Amino acid sequence: MSEKENSLSRRSVLKGAAVGGLGLVAGGALSAESASAAARIKGTTVRWTTRGGGATGDKIAKAVNDAFTKKTGVKVVAQQVNSDDFQNNFAQIMQGSPDDAFGWMAGYRSNHFGELGLLADLTREINRLKSSLPTSAIKGATSPVSKKPYILPTTYYPWALHYRKSMVKDIGMNPEKIDTWDDFVKLMTLTQKKGLVGYSLGAKGGWEAMGTFDILNSRINGYKYHIDLLNGRAKWTDAKTKETFKYFAQLIPFMNDNVLDISWDGMRDLLLQKKTGAMLMGSWFANDFKAKSQADYDDLWVVPFPEINPKWGRDTIDAPLDGISVAANGKNVAAGKALAEFWASPEGIAEAVKAGDTSIYVSKSFDTSSYDSFNKQKLAVLASAKNIMFFLDRDARGDFAGPVVGPAIQSFIKKPSDVNKILESVQAQWDALPKN
Amino acid sequence: MSSGVVQSEKYRNSQKRKDFFISLFIGIFAIVWIFPILWTVWTSLRPYNDIISYGIFSWPRHLNFNNYVNAMREMKIGGYLLNSAIVTIPSVILTLFFGSLIAFVVTRYKFKFNLTLLLLFTAGNMLPIVLTYIPVFWMFIWVGELFGNRNLLYNNYGGLILVHVGFQVGFAAFVLSSYMKTIPKEISESATIDGANVFRHYWNVILPLLRPALAALSVLMTTWIYNEFFWALVLMSDDSKRPITSALRRLQGQYVTDFNLLAAGAIIAALPTVILFFVLRKQFIAGLTLGSTKG
Amino acid sequence: MKAAATIKKNRSRRSLSKGDRFTLSAFVGIPTLLQIILLWVPAVVTIVLSFTYWNGVRLEDIRWAGIQNYKTIFVNEPLFYQALKNNGIWLAFFVLVATPLGILLAYQVDRGIKGHAFYESIYYLPVVLSLAVIGIIWNFMLQPGGFVQGLMGLDIGNAISIWGNPDINTWVILGVASWRHIGYIMLLYLSGLKSVDPALKEAAAIDGATEWQIFRKIILPTMQPVNIIIVVITLIESLRAFDLVYIIYGNPTIFPLLNLLVFQNFAGQGISMKGAAYAVILLVLCIVPIITYLRVTFKEDLK
Repeated sequence: MSEKENSLSRRSVLKGAAVGGLGLVAGGALSAESASAAARIKGTTVRWTTRGGGATGDKIAKAVNDAFTKKTGVKVVAQQVNSDDFQNNFAQIMQGSPDDAFGWMAGYRSNHFGELGLLADLTREINRLKSSLPTSAIKGATSPVSKKPYILPTTYYPWALHYRKSMVKDIGMNPEKIDTWDDFVKLMTLTQKKGLVGYSLGAKGGWEAMGTFDILNSRINGYKYHIDLLNGRAKWTDAKTKETFKYFAQLIPFMNDNVLDISWDGMRDLLLQKKTGAMLMGSWFANDFKAKSQADYDDLWVVPFPEINPKWGRDTIDAPLDGISVAANGKNVAAGKALAEFWASPEGIAEAVKAGDTSIYVSKSFDTSSYDSFNKQKLAVLASAKNIMFFLDRDARGDFAGPVVGPAIQSFIKKPSDVNKILESVQAQWDALPKN
Repeated sequence: MSSGVVQSEKYRNSQKRKDFFISLFIGIFAIVWIFPILWTVWTSLRPYNDIISYGIFSWPRHLNFNNYVNAMREMKIGGYLLNSAIVTIPSVILTLFFGSLIAFVVTRYKFKFNLTLLLLFTAGNMLPIVLTYIPVFWMFIWVGELFGNRNLLYNNYGGLILVHVGFQVGFAAFVLSSYMKTIPKEISESATIDGANVFRHYWNVILPLLRPALAALSVLMTTWIYNEFFWALVLMSDDSKRPITSALRRLQGQYVTDFNLLAAGAIIAALPTVILFFVLRKQFIAGLTLGSTKG
Repeated sequence: MKAAATIKKNRSRRSLSKGDRFTLSAFVGIPTLLQIILLWVPAVVTIVLSFTYWNGVRLEDIRWAGIQNYKTIFVNEPLFYQALKNNGIWLAFFVLVATPLGILLAYQVDRGIKGHAFYESIYYLPVVLSLAVIGIIWNFMLQPGGFVQGLMGLDIGNAISIWGNPDINTWVILGVASWRHIGYIMLLYLSGLKSVDPALKEAAAIDGATEWQIFRKIILPTMQPVNIIIVVITLIESLRAFDLVYIIYGNPTIFPLLNLLVFQNFAGQGISMKGAAYAVILLVLCIVPIITYLRVTFKEDLK
């Protein structure tokens, strides 16, 4: 499908962000058309959904939405929902009475529902943001099938190896240099010797452990093979896939006992309370370190997952692209689009950052010069990769990732020796999917 | 004669001893039973920072109702409780009303379809609810479109009430009809002879007699509907319209680290049914002695 | 006898005025219509949909699939068999352990053992809690860093697996579910027991009947109506089990139950009519107890 084309372009997402601080001011010249649109929506009400994020999420949403109201005279009614429940019901919510705009995810999750007519076409909005959005981000947000964008890209984050510098120093290793598989195994072994968890993982929801599979598979078999596998062009029963699970099995003895009991927040707590050597996770949780104390935050570090196969080096990373989508069935689609555009515009981003958002924005306007060392490191980790994956459950179809791959990885963790049986079952379930 | 007395005396003594152990056993289990609830209450009275700094088993340095105040304020639990009331009260009333109508007709009139009707309702009560989920969803959207408002039933209290009534009325009809079978037919006959029409027969004669069963059922139905989780989760897309039970799910995700606050929220959510039950316990037990005289 | 019934029927027919007939039709019609529209029509639609491929959005995308969804479930889905097993264990445990325990408890409390009023309240307390609240309460108890693990001297770093451990999670979940179910059954039974004449028991006891005999010969038969309600509630609760497991896990993959599999496949982002097929399978499994139950309940009427 499209992943191949996207791979090259997604790379430059990073460049845009890494250069940063270009300070491009977008939307300087309001066209006559958008001026009349602005007049039309003035005085109306638009509805916004924040997907999870707790008090910080609410605070950021309020700051951006208030600025939007001030600018356009459109009232924003916002709510926060449980992210899992929102996703579990997504198709129904979008057909029912969705809020006009909401934070959503790029990849299969927006393309699929956009093509089905549930998400609004945002071509005009994305064109207006062209001066601030890197072309690669625009491409990442655009459906390869309909060639239309159904999401305005805003932020992304690396799924990479996180650990605490102080703990790595304690075991006599250099926290700046965890580069190879051997370094990584040494880190886990030494940490485990101290009675702690070597590598922490949560897989309660099924999706958390997909990150570990993604990165192992792309390190061992390369980016192309991984994307082929997720789209049915390679087989789960292939020896190459099995090789990935061999490495996965090597990690299991280092893991916490209760992998299937905890989710990402349980993993975060392990690192926060200095109970684990390392973990692979999306960097979004860093906010919680900062909330606990500056010392904890300063101790946190992130590096690319170590190299396994020298042929690929560390050339690939999971960096899910998030953004704002507009529900086609919303009550006020025009204002929803305007709100989405505002969130993705340099102005909106400035408001979010001011309110304490530590995410990395794709926008070229995004100023990274004032970044702290952890955030700079996040950018460096992203920039070091040549290929960007969106994460398994965004790169693969929805009736496969959640219902099939998630439980398969869970059963594998429960009983690694069953790997052949499990992979055969995954392949059989792929083969049985209705072909579109 | 005297030997019989001795025997029963012996019987009583051994029974007393046995009873003591039974009571002890049940008592020990009762402590285990109540403990999780007490622990949750205890947790809800302690500030989060105490737990973080000193651990969950530490001696309490502060005990107060701050978590409850915060739960009402930050979690806006008051609004969710109101939603629960808006959904539960009409649902219970309508369910009992419709259930009693069916019970009235099938027990007081001999129509050919009586049995079919009762079978339909009783079986309906046992259907797995997820079976109907997607079609009900589309039906709600479609009816909404018909009237130009998608929110007419979906994402609206009315729709949720309808679904609850649809699913619970079978149980009410079944229980009430078996209760009504114990009410002598003569009462109805004299009413008919007195020239009461069907409505007055139902309203003035039967309904008052059903009162104990209705009271018991209303307690049962209220706890069921108030505690119902699935439909509120899938049919209410606006968080602000959700009843407390399904709203707790979001709060559970959002305040996952602040157990103490969440504990307070959970206790508040539990209070209405706990109070209802303990206030109406007598009626409940009395009412549910349904038709046991029938033998 | 038969003749008398016919006469009676005729009389009541004849004596109905036009207004009465209208009232009666409304009395029967409104609830029945509601029941048919909200329950039976959707059930039939789901059955039809289970034979199609569809992503649940546009009607024109529906394609006929024959029995393919069922084939996929039976041949390729490991979760299906796990769910079948879990639902089966749940049902068996409720029928064989939890419900009898509730009945036993009711019997003892009813005999007026010391502290019975107090016990009655305590055992009933979990029943009025919603499963959402129960999930939160037991998470406090069992999660890493929670009460039970803390008592075992485990912090989050060396916490043992409970919810995710396939060897014990079934029993833990059944324990939590029974925590609620036992009190339920106790109270329902208690309400029935109150109506058993105590003199009857006393007499039997003096005659030297054992407790078991008293229970079997005197109490159980008198309790027939309550027994039926208890059977229904036990069956419904175990086949419809959803809330508790959804609250604890959020998805059906670690502890699959049929209801959860329906929801996962029938809604959300991966919507497919495999979910409908799961729902129909669940229905078929429910039909056996439904029919058995209906035949027992309406034995006399059916004759």
